[in-house]
Amino acid sequence: MLGTDREEYPVLSNLLRQQLEVFPDHRFYLNRRFKGASEEHMALTEMVARQVAQVAGAELPEVLEDYAWLSREVIEEELYFRRTGQYRLDSFEEAERLVYSDPVYMHRYMNGLLASQVWWRNHTDIIGYYVSTYLSGLTEGFRHLEIGPGHGLFLYQTAAAANPGSLTAWDISEVSLRNTRAALDAMGVERPVELAACNLFEAPAGEFDSITFSEVLEHLEQPFAALQILGQLLAKDGRLFVNAPVNSPAPDHIYLFRTPEEVIDMVERAGFEVLNRFFAPTTGATLQQARKRELAISVAVIASPRQER
Amino acid sequence: MNSEIIIQKLEELFRDLFDDYTGPVTRELTADDVEEWDSLGHIQLMVLIEKTMGLRFSTEEIRQLKNLGELVDLIQAKTATGE
Repeated sequence: MLGTDREEYPVLSNLLRQQLEVFPDHRFYLNRRFKGASEEHMALTEMVARQVAQVAGAELPEVLEDYAWLSREVIEEELYFRRTGQYRLDSFEEAERLVYSDPVYMHRYMNGLLASQVWWRNHTDIIGYYVSTYLSGLTEGFRHLEIGPGHGLFLYQTAAAANPGSLTAWDISEVSLRNTRAALDAMGVERPVELAACNLFEAPAGEFDSITFSEVLEHLEQPFAALQILGQLLAKDGRLFVNAPVNSPAPDHIYLFRTPEEVIDMVERAGFEVLNRFFAPTTGATLQQARKRELAISVAVIASPRQER
Repeated sequence: MNSEIIIQKLEELFRDLFDDYTGPVTRELTADDVEEWDSLGHIQLMVLIEKTMGLRFSTEEIRQLKNLGELVDLIQAKTATGE
């Protein structure tokens, strides 16, 4: 499945073998996942696989089981989405009641999403773009804020790959923050990272040179207002990284972006100038196919506050 | 509806959705034969059939199909009983 050089990707090979043991029906999908992948992409995926394995630790078999479970959950959401043209939920209250307030469901969901960083090509591609294009463009000593750090992989890349002045992350959920802390510890992050329970809509005043906002917009009733707040928190010459999926039904997604341009347009209307963008189509599809069939596309945007002329 | 008419209708939907596939559309066709026919493609195909033919499939029916022939039989059974 990984080609003739699987020894070059030992962690990925191991993860793949274990995943197929608990989810044999996924062979066809995973075949497509790696078909024709470049060496560069395989090296990136091995890096992400290593991080996922570190975070999972002894819980790796459970994480892979939970990924199989999540894949089936997403198929149900997909069925609803294709039939109705809408996400099943449209309010934060519903997502809170059905998903966020259920610790058992949330644990499985977070585990499944962790493994998806390796198995969903768009997730892996966005991490690659974040490292190669976003982090490489930040100036030394930058004050960094991530909102909704979740599995911790973006925060880890930020701590490891660049030279930050400070690292802060906010989440509304204490449980999620504990998971992020455990993930950072498991990956051996030594830089101090301040994790704080904070609702973005009640955020304290502050100034950051870099803000990461990955896979949050689609969970909000008011994504536009959230982006406007980020503009107030960002230094005049700061950088914003936004990642949001298009046509991507999930148990707790409530805001539906139908095209990549809708994401970009919202970022621009919120007062930002878009400096760079990257569209990562779902596994097995080209961007053109994903647009035609209205499949999931991860949209990453690098932006800075628009300067008044 | 007889199975030949169903196959003709399915071929039309199938080629529109999976436009990279140029091989024959027969009862023996499986997802392994068609690059774009993955789990999400399968959902899209089934919902397209639902909307075009005025049918409704259960999640189990959608999951269990192994080839196009089984899909044809399922559609035939549903149209016969007016489901």
